[in-house]
Amino acid sequence: MSAQTEKQNPAFYALIAALVVMSVGPIALMLATSFKTNVDVYDASVSAFFFSPTIKNYETVLCNFLWYEPAHVDYCDPTFGRALVNSLIVGLISTGLTLTIGCMAAYALVRFKFMGRGAVSMTTLLMRMVPPAVLLVPVFGIWTFQYGLDQTYAGIILIYTAMNLPFVIWILQSFIVQVPIQLEEAARMDGANPFQVFFLVVLPIIQPGLAAAAIFTFRIAWNEFLLANALSGRSTRTVPVTIVNSITEYDINWGVIMATGMLLAIPPILFTFVASKQIITGMTAGAVKG
Amino acid sequence: MPQIRLENLVKRYGNFEVLHGINLEMEENEFTVLVGPSGCGKSTTLRMIAGLESVSDGEIFINEKPVSNLEPKARDLAMVFQDYALYPHMNVAKNMSFALRLQRRPKKEIDEKVGVVAEMLGLTKFLHRKPGELSGGQRQRVAMGRALTRDAGTFLFDEPLSNLDAKLRGQMRAELALMRQQVQKNMIYVTHDQIEAMTLGDRIVVMHGGYIQQQGTPEELFKRPANKFVAGFLGSPPMNFLEAEVQDLSDRSFVSGKGFELVLPEDKAAAVASSSSKAVTLGIRPSDLHYSPDAEDHESVDLQVIVSEYIGAQSVLLCDCGGQKVEVELKSETPIALGETLRFAVNREGIHMFDRETEVAIR
Repeated sequence: MSAQTEKQNPAFYALIAALVVMSVGPIALMLATSFKTNVDVYDASVSAFFFSPTIKNYETVLCNFLWYEPAHVDYCDPTFGRALVNSLIVGLISTGLTLTIGCMAAYALVRFKFMGRGAVSMTTLLMRMVPPAVLLVPVFGIWTFQYGLDQTYAGIILIYTAMNLPFVIWILQSFIVQVPIQLEEAARMDGANPFQVFFLVVLPIIQPGLAAAAIFTFRIAWNEFLLANALSGRSTRTVPVTIVNSITEYDINWGVIMATGMLLAIPPILFTFVASKQIITGMTAGAVKG
Repeated sequence: MPQIRLENLVKRYGNFEVLHGINLEMEENEFTVLVGPSGCGKSTTLRMIAGLESVSDGEIFINEKPVSNLEPKARDLAMVFQDYALYPHMNVAKNMSFALRLQRRPKKEIDEKVGVVAEMLGLTKFLHRKPGELSGGQRQRVAMGRALTRDAGTFLFDEPLSNLDAKLRGQMRAELALMRQQVQKNMIYVTHDQIEAMTLGDRIVVMHGGYIQQQGTPEELFKRPANKFVAGFLGSPPMNFLEAEVQDLSDRSFVSGKGFELVLPEDKAAAVASSSSKAVTLGIRPSDLHYSPDAEDHESVDLQVIVSEYIGAQSVLLCDCGGQKVEVELKSETPIALGETLRFAVNREGIHMFDRETEVAIR
């Protein structure tokens, strides 16, 4: 190919470099800061990237998971470690629930004919258009005073599930529509009952859609701050809330915050890698004559 | 083994009736072909037997048991779909064994059955491939294998060959005929291709506009079509139709129109005599016209050649007969020139007449 050997305009490389710096820069800075002592962070004479690194910040964050007692930690504050576990619990359970309910709802909306089907399908998406901030006050009131769900995992998981369901239903609908109806008919002729048709034929085929929806919901549940801040209690706080709470007017331990931030980024990355493996093109290749 | 009976089967979509009371009986181990043009209701009929479409009126009996309200799986049927409908996430072996695995049969039995069927269809090498990695013909074979593995009482085929190219279709048709000899089961086969219908069927049911036009063996339908539609639908090239009048003279009857006058064989003459109508449509198959320069006047037609289509050993000539188009078959080596007028003798058996109003055969 001649196009590839052709010399590019130097401005093109400059543009690429600028883009890379813009996207990777903050993360690199965060990574560097997470290895700095608090003194180094505030010392203007210490370079941003050249300093004597330390893993003390990570030890502080993970102190209650470590098998040894770090020498510099006088009192092991479990807040950060606990927040990581909380975030995992909330993220995974709400993702699981959203997918389970979402795929069934989407299937029903696509395959079953009932009155008001189009309206239901539209209104699910309308609900998604309400910003979480608007939901905050009523949800807080109802969760706290009516059901006593405040400060529990259940409360946060429930609102995340409700919040993500419309979009997941919407995504999965578009995947289920593509499953040829003949496949379901063939399964019925082969003696499958409706549940077997759904679980053995439809679900495996829409796996890419499930993966995409899972990445989407997990990331929202993992990153969400506003509702988590209002609904979680001391022991159920998720990581974003904990980070913000650790910024006080007396003391901001940037090193620890950055270390938490780095740890916060790892699970979604892993999750996305695993889930995106499932996203393969041509999900119905060979099923029916195209 | 099941005998299937359709009784006054009606299908409506809203107020629109697409099947108007189908009555049909299929004997044990019979290969029945439903054939007709698109939209004639043949696929709908099959899908109603399968249980994929609801029955609006009438009843389906399998072994004298009404089944129209049963789920497909309770009817002991296996079906091959037009566009294969293979499960894309399962390999060939899993596709073929799906039904047996649903029945929770022992693994050994499943493997054995899949092995036998795969051997029969030449799929043994492909058992671990996904449908996406197979060619069209192989996929069609897997679809057939899936039905065969089930060992159901009745097999339904919904235009199984229509997605294949012409050469492969011929090959698969032969394989189907071979499979037919090995598997003695009731089979119902839907197609719009009259050649498939003629070569495969024990019994052919010609459908049109939601009605059964005629049913019988391929030979019956070809030789004694019940009406003009059946006559024109079966046979390739199709039957020629000419507007004609019947004239009774003292000793003989003639059928004549623009550019031809033919003497009627006695049985036909008698049939016309008992019929009220003298205005008829004359039908002659291309294969019943023979090039014969010195045939008698009243047993032949003179045709002017317009177009000659060379198709190998035979050529199909499109000719003009008093302003009406007639097709004839001719050996390709016969020397002819376009525009020439040739004389063709008409086979006596090959004269068909239809009432011009009702299109019903006069016989």
